[in-house]
Amino acid sequence: MTAALFENVGKVYKSGLFSRTQIPAVRDVSLSVPMGSVFGLLGPNRAGKTTLVKLLLSLSRPSAGHVARFGEPIANRRTLSRVGYMHENHAFPRYLSASEVLNFYGGLSGVPGEELPRRSDALLERVGLADRKYEPISRFSKGMVQRLGLAQALINEPDLLILDEPTEGLDLLGRQLLRDISREFKAAGKTVLLVSHVLTEVEELCDELAVLVAGRVAFRGTMAALTADPATGGTRPLETALRQLYTREVTE
Amino acid sequence: MNLPDIVRCVRWMIRDTIRQSISTKLFYVMVALIAVVTLLCASIKVSDDVAPMTYDWEVPALIPKSEAEKLGLDRVKNDGVRVISGEVSFGFGLTKVPLGRTREDAVHFIQTWLAGWLADTAGVLLALLWTAGFLPTFLEPQSATVLLAKPAPRWSILLGKYLGVVLFVGFQATLFVGCTWLALGCATGVWSSAYWLAVPLLVLNFAVFYSVSVFLSVWTRSTVASAFGVLMFWLLCWLVDYSHLRMLAQPSGSMTPLAQMLMDAGYWILPKPLDLSGIFFDAMNAETLSAKPTELKIAESGGQHHPEWSVASSIAFAIGVLGLSAFEFKMTDY
Repeated sequence: MTAALFENVGKVYKSGLFSRTQIPAVRDVSLSVPMGSVFGLLGPNRAGKTTLVKLLLSLSRPSAGHVARFGEPIANRRTLSRVGYMHENHAFPRYLSASEVLNFYGGLSGVPGEELPRRSDALLERVGLADRKYEPISRFSKGMVQRLGLAQALINEPDLLILDEPTEGLDLLGRQLLRDISREFKAAGKTVLLVSHVLTEVEELCDELAVLVAGRVAFRGTMAALTADPATGGTRPLETALRQLYTREVTE
Repeated sequence: MNLPDIVRCVRWMIRDTIRQSISTKLFYVMVALIAVVTLLCASIKVSDDVAPMTYDWEVPALIPKSEAEKLGLDRVKNDGVRVISGEVSFGFGLTKVPLGRTREDAVHFIQTWLAGWLADTAGVLLALLWTAGFLPTFLEPQSATVLLAKPAPRWSILLGKYLGVVLFVGFQATLFVGCTWLALGCATGVWSSAYWLAVPLLVLNFAVFYSVSVFLSVWTRSTVASAFGVLMFWLLCWLVDYSHLRMLAQPSGSMTPLAQMLMDAGYWILPKPLDLSGIFFDAMNAETLSAKPTELKIAESGGQHHPEWSVASSIAFAIGVLGLSAFEFKMTDY
């Protein structure tokens, strides 16, 4: 079974009076994210990475094609209780404390009430916020909010963890924590979908990846396949491989 | 999602909304206002009340005792003017007003003014402006994306938010009515149970208009649009409700059948704030205290005014608008 499946997916954003302006974000994307892997989703800005994530999370509806989570159509929201989501710019309600944030999102994810305090204490300990659990998050720095965002994504013990530019604002220890968690997920047979521009992280963690350029899949395969240099038969840096891919696709 | 999951989601949203309400500064302003009004009520004293004298043939003339003494008591009595010695004092005796009615009537008058004008107009408008920003803030993409990626259906999130706001305003209405009722009861010895009817009517009035605020918030995600829009809508409803009653009282021959039909349709579709006020007015038996709108009186005497239908159609309107909001929310891309 795949954690996520996209079949011939298209998404067009409409705006303006009578939806006259139509902006295609992704076009004819077919992609599957296998269980038990760390899957990287790369691409330049405006390539459609976040759009795919939003479609997978039922935040948007596809204009064409079919999207599935754990083999179920995305209309079945029940499968969202097996998904954790962390993005780059969290804005949690500022009137809540760290502990209340976890209880709130955990409760909405279907975590039983009696289980919430134990999980939220353990996660706050893990992300280094245990000593600030009762403090309103309006006093938190961006890095602390990101750590809390990570704890929030883990509160329902998900089978699929979606990380959209997760290291934004995180310090060295925070990044290390994120890497550790990704490895733990893979070891436990769970899945991580990583959207990132930080190539060292992608190289270190991802087994497979897809590269989106201008809303289309420009590459889909293993890291070794992407970094293989066809001219020399050796390997090339990931940055070089991506630059060629981005430029070629844009030129075409 | 099954029913227990939905109930849990709604419960979490209600809890979060109440937490959000308490965190705003305006909450403390509202509590302070209630405290001031309660203190004012506690400062009221009624003394030497009299039953109002009514004549069939003329409106009774009343004059305070102090004035009568200045003019000469005999002269006043000979002129058929009634001398009253009762008074209502405010601010622990700072201001005194002559009283020409019974103690109960005096207290009912104050309660009608408190619930009918202060709470039903100023209070409801303030609450609508205060809560207009709750949903737009909550629906900002940065905060909404994590929330909407949870398994709870969007409509249940919206319903929980709506119920949370209405419950919180209900708490404030109960606090206002309860505190002023207690203060007036202790100060005057008059305990009017009908005054408590103001709580459900205030909540209903607010809940109906807040559904419009919810729709505007979901549609525009703008606090300004939500606040301004609901204010305009509130004015429109008063205008349509009043115009309808006026037409019943004084049918205008100049109106075309189409205009008449549109006016009737507008009246039956839209909320009816004036009718809801009328229900409270009747419950407080306030007709002896201040004049009821003539239009409402004529409509009632002609059997053309049905308070129960006004309540039912206002509730139906709110449910319809909430349904539309839920549909719009479901169809919105984040």
